[in-house]
Amino acid sequence: MKAMKTISLFFISGLLALSFFGCGGGEGSRNGAEQRSGRSSDRVDILGAGASFPAPLVTAMADEYRGVTSNRVTVNYQSIGSGGGIRQFVEQTIMFGMTEAFLSDDVMQNVEASTGGRAFNMPITLADVVTTYNIPGFDKGLVFSSDVLVDIYMGNITRWNDSRITELNPGKDLPSLPITVVHRSDGSGTTNIWTSYFSRVSDEWRGRVGYGTSVNWPVGVGGNGNEGVAGAVINTPGAIGYNSLSYALLNDMSYGSVLNASGNIIEPSFEATTEAANIDLPEDTRILFTNTPAEYGYPIAGFAWMLVYENLENNNAINNRQQAEELVRFLIWSITDGQELSETLGYARLPMAAVERNIAMIEEVKWEGELIGKELLQDVL
Amino acid sequence: MKTLRQRNIRDYFMVGLLYVSAIAVLTPLLIIIGYVIVNGISTISIDFFTQELGSPARAMQGRPTGLVHSILGTLVVDSLALIIAAPLGLGAGVMLSEYPDHKLNPTLRVLNDTLNGMPAILKGLLAFALVVKPMGTFSGLAGGVALAFVMIPIIARSTESALMTIPWSIREAGLAIGLPRWRVVLSTVMPAARTGLVTGFLIAFARAAGEAAPLMFTSFGNNYLPNHWSGMIFGPVDTLPQRLYSLAISPYKEWHAMGWAAGVVLLVFVLGLFIAGRILTRQKYQA
Repeated sequence: MKAMKTISLFFISGLLALSFFGCGGGEGSRNGAEQRSGRSSDRVDILGAGASFPAPLVTAMADEYRGVTSNRVTVNYQSIGSGGGIRQFVEQTIMFGMTEAFLSDDVMQNVEASTGGRAFNMPITLADVVTTYNIPGFDKGLVFSSDVLVDIYMGNITRWNDSRITELNPGKDLPSLPITVVHRSDGSGTTNIWTSYFSRVSDEWRGRVGYGTSVNWPVGVGGNGNEGVAGAVINTPGAIGYNSLSYALLNDMSYGSVLNASGNIIEPSFEATTEAANIDLPEDTRILFTNTPAEYGYPIAGFAWMLVYENLENNNAINNRQQAEELVRFLIWSITDGQELSETLGYARLPMAAVERNIAMIEEVKWEGELIGKELLQDVL
Repeated sequence: MKTLRQRNIRDYFMVGLLYVSAIAVLTPLLIIIGYVIVNGISTISIDFFTQELGSPARAMQGRPTGLVHSILGTLVVDSLALIIAAPLGLGAGVMLSEYPDHKLNPTLRVLNDTLNGMPAILKGLLAFALVVKPMGTFSGLAGGVALAFVMIPIIARSTESALMTIPWSIREAGLAIGLPRWRVVLSTVMPAARTGLVTGFLIAFARAAGEAAPLMFTSFGNNYLPNHWSGMIFGPVDTLPQRLYSLAISPYKEWHAMGWAAGVVLLVFVLGLFIAGRILTRQKYQA
C-alpha cells in the first residue's frame, strides 16, 4: 500500500512538474520575443516539408547552416513527399514546401487569390534518373536511346539481345535473356521525370500512357520507393529499372548511358545533369527539361523546387518578420554556399541559369510590402 | 461408463491444449521483444540519448547522431495528452459509474466505445482541423490533443470499472452523514478507487505512447530539439513512434539500425508503464 502511494505520488508530481515546466517555457518564449529585436543571439526555428528526394541534401544543409549561424537558426525539414509538401504549403502550415513537380496553374491561381501574391517555385537542386539494370557479366555503361527505352517499357522489346539494343552497343555480346521491366508502384517525382521523358520522345507513349507521378504501366512489376525498384533489379537477372543517380551510386548498381537529343552519348554524372538545366529557363522556372536541348546535357533530369510565398506575411506559418528574414537568408545561402554540399551527398549543383532566376525571384519576396529579399541580398552579394 | 484412465487421459489432453494456447499467445510477444532487443541493443550508446538526429549524412559519415529530441518529445506530448484526457475521461467514467440511471449514459457508452475503436489516424485528422489549422503550425499541443482522443475512452472505461469495484455501502455512508452526491464521489469513492484510477492513466499513457499515425500531421516531427523550450508545445515536435516509422522506411542502413534502437527504447518505456500498472493493480487486491 505504501509503495503504491509512493508510486502514484511520484507519477502525479511528475505530471504537475511537467505542466509547470510547460507554462514556464511559454513565458520564457514571450520574454524572448520581446527581447528579440535587439539581440544577435536570438534563435529561430524554420519549418519546411515535402519531397523525399532532396531531403538528405536539405537536412544536411540544415545541419551545416546551424553551424554557420552558431546554432541561431534551426531548419527543420520533414520528408513527407512532393504531394504532401504542396498540400501543406497551400494549407499554410509550413514556412516553405519542397516538390519535384512544380505547382500547377490551378494551384498558382489559388495562391494568388488567397495571399495576393505569387507562389515562387525556386530550384534548389536537380534530380537525375538513371537506367539501372542487372545483366550478369555486364557492368555500367550500356548505351540506350530514347526509343529503345520507350519500347522496352512498352513491352515491344523483350530480350536483351534484340537487334536494336545490340546496334547501340557494338562489340558487346548481350545474352538472350528476357527483359524484366521494373517501375515504381508508389507516386513519385522520379516517375514523373522518367515518364515525362518518354512522353517528350514518343507520341505513342504520350497518347497511351502519358506522364505523372504515377501512371498505368503497359508492362512490368512494381517496387515501392527507390529501394523497392533497386531490390527488384538487383535480385532479378535481366531486370531493368530506374533510380536516382545518387541511389544507384550508393548501392553500387549498374546504370546505362543515354543518347541525348543532340546525338551525344551521355554517361550520367552530376556535371551532365547540371548541364541539362543550363538552358533558357522561363522566369518562374516552371519547366520540365527532360530530353534537354543542351548539347552535353543528360536527358532524364529535372528540378526539385522550394516553394515560397511572395507575400511572406500572408503565410500563416510565419509569425513575424524575423522568421521571414531568416527564411530568406537560408534560401539565399542554400542556392549559393549550400550548393557546396551537393556532390559529396550525390546531388548535382544548380546551373548558373537557375541561380540567376532564383535571385530574381528572391528580390521580389516581400514582408508587408517591403522588399526584404532585395535588402538581404544586398547584405550577401 | 468411462474408466478412470480414460478420464485422466482426456484431462491431460485438455490441460496440454491450454498450455499450447498459452504458449501461442506468449510466443509472438516474446519473439517481438527478443527480435527488437537483439537488433537494437548494439546501436544504443551515450550519443543515442544525448544527440539530435540531424541529416542522414551524419549517420553515414559516422558523426554523432541520436534521438534525444524524440525521447523528450514523446514524454512532453504524451504528458500533454494525459493532462488533457485525464479530467475528461475521469468525468465520463464518473458519470457512467455514479449516475447509472442518467438517460445520456447509454449514448455515452456507445460513443465512448466508438471513439475507442476509431482508427487513430482519424483522431490525428481531427486534431489537425481543431488545433493545427487555427494555430497555423504543427505543434506538440496538437499531438497532445490527438493522443488525448486515444486516451479518453480508455480512461473513461477504466475509471468506470475502478469506481464500480467500490461497494455501494461506502457511498451510502457518505450520503447518510448528509454529504452532497458530488462530495461523496470526490471525497470517498475516488480516494478509495485511487489505485484503479492511476492504473487506468498508466494503461492509457502506455497505449498512446505507441501511436504513430495520429502524430503525423499534428506534432509532425523535428530533426532537432526546438530552439526554445516552448517549441516543445507550440512548435513541431519529434516523437519516438513516428521517428521509428520514418527511420524504418528510409533507404539508409544506419538509420534502420537507429530505428531498431528507437524500438528498444519505446518498448522498454511502454513495458515499464504496463508493468507499473500491473503492480499497482495487484496491490489493490492485497489491500
